[in-house]
Amino acid sequence: MIEAVRLEEVCRRYPNGAGLHPVSLSIGVGETVAIVGPSGAGKSTLLSLIAGVFPPDTGRVFLHGRLLADLAPGRELARLVGIVHQQFDLVPQLSVHSNVLAGRLGEWGLARSLLSLVVPQDAALAKRALERVGLLDRWNERTSRLSGGEQQRVALARLLVQNPRIILADEPVASLDPARAEDLLALLTGIAAGEGKTLIASLHSVALARRFFNRIVALRAGLVQFDRPAAEVADDDLAEIYALEDHVR
Amino acid sequence: MSLAAAVILVVLSWLWVIGEDRARGVVLISAQSAEHVGQFIEDLLGIGSPSPPAYLRPDRWAAMAGLAAETLGMSVLAAGLAGAGALALGVFAARTVAFGPLRPSRSPLWPMAFFVTRGAFIVSRALPELLWALLLLFLFTPGTLPGALALGLHNLGVVGKLGAEVVEDLNLRPIQALQRSGARPGQLLAYGIVPSMLPQLLTYLLYRWEVIIRSTIVVGFVGAGGLGQEFRLRMSFFHYTDVTLILLVYLLLVFGVDLVSAGLRRLAR
Repeated sequence: MIEAVRLEEVCRRYPNGAGLHPVSLSIGVGETVAIVGPSGAGKSTLLSLIAGVFPPDTGRVFLHGRLLADLAPGRELARLVGIVHQQFDLVPQLSVHSNVLAGRLGEWGLARSLLSLVVPQDAALAKRALERVGLLDRWNERTSRLSGGEQQRVALARLLVQNPRIILADEPVASLDPARAEDLLALLTGIAAGEGKTLIASLHSVALARRFFNRIVALRAGLVQFDRPAAEVADDDLAEIYALEDHVR
Repeated sequence: MSLAAAVILVVLSWLWVIGEDRARGVVLISAQSAEHVGQFIEDLLGIGSPSPPAYLRPDRWAAMAGLAAETLGMSVLAAGLAGAGALALGVFAARTVAFGPLRPSRSPLWPMAFFVTRGAFIVSRALPELLWALLLLFLFTPGTLPGALALGLHNLGVVGKLGAEVVEDLNLRPIQALQRSGARPGQLLAYGIVPSMLPQLLTYLLYRWEVIIRSTIVVGFVGAGGLGQEFRLRMSFFHYTDVTLILLVYLLLVFGVDLVSAGLRRLAR
């Protein structure tokens, strides 16, 4: 198995006791992994560490065999890993196409970036990405006019344009209704399968995790509770992680 | 507390009027001054004058329209200068850029730029428009250009500070998301900071434009041209019906600018 992500004894502690303490994990290229667990279990922390948002307190993170700490922030990191958040984090005042093409900023110089605000550069790429998420007709619209679900898909289109080898999704469906949540997960896993990308998503819903992903990693209180193929995850396992949380409370 | 302060203030003022001023101030409400006011109003309306009053003559209206256009131009230029300056410098005056999460590098130039721009903003807004106008008209040929420059400089300090505060209050998440997509400082500015701050900055600038159009009269008084200068000339030549006309045109201008500004503010949102 070629490793896309490798975590070695990674620790990250917060003053309130949350975080990861410690976690080791190996994820192969092309795997689709759902990180499940109750709130505060460390799901977001795990994804942020893989995305290089902040470094671990101790332990090491490798992406495609390279130590994350050695990668230059910006372009080099952007080619390896990209992340979509629950809050989508688009610039609301920009047009949809500018927000999508922001995924190319790592590849462009300043002059080309400025020009693209007026005359979209690599427009074919952006059009293909928007078509993929079903929003090509909103090309010129101001992003703030789109609904939450549409903005999430624009964020996904930006990620398609950025074209990283590893796609991270932090609670991608938390703010969507069930039907849209299924559409979005089908889209995400479809992209990963179609382009041989590694997908790691944190989810609250275990049912969705079992349906759309081929591996489930359960976290509880910053530790890996279990890690096995989705098909082998029994209802009892899941009852356990959430029941234990109730007990802790 | 504030009521007590108000009472003391009123008592003290009247003690001063009656004691120190020997009630000279009360002359304001004497029969003689009432007559002066009446006479002045008659002069303004042109009652008893053989020639028709200026505010009824189309040629005078046309001449004043030209001056109003000049005044409007001065205010637009001033607002433009203040806005362009604030957009270019406001980012450097933001704490988040100089010391915080938006700082592009560890270079000490960023904190230095912060103190230089903040200092410049303080100086430029501490000097009122009138003082700037006196200084600039001393240096340059009198006219609307130094007037606009004076108004622009004073307002640069105001709008620049507001712009810096807009940057400090920006939602950082979209900007950090751009960073993670591989954007470098210049690109963050163009794709994140400027588009996010622009609507709010424009709103502030349009409010300042409403203030600027009123201040054009003040700088006009000291020779910066436009309606203000004309007002002063007509007053000193005792052309009272022209003064009435200027006041009318000025009120229309201010009203029009307020309307346009409100409309543009709605668009900026």
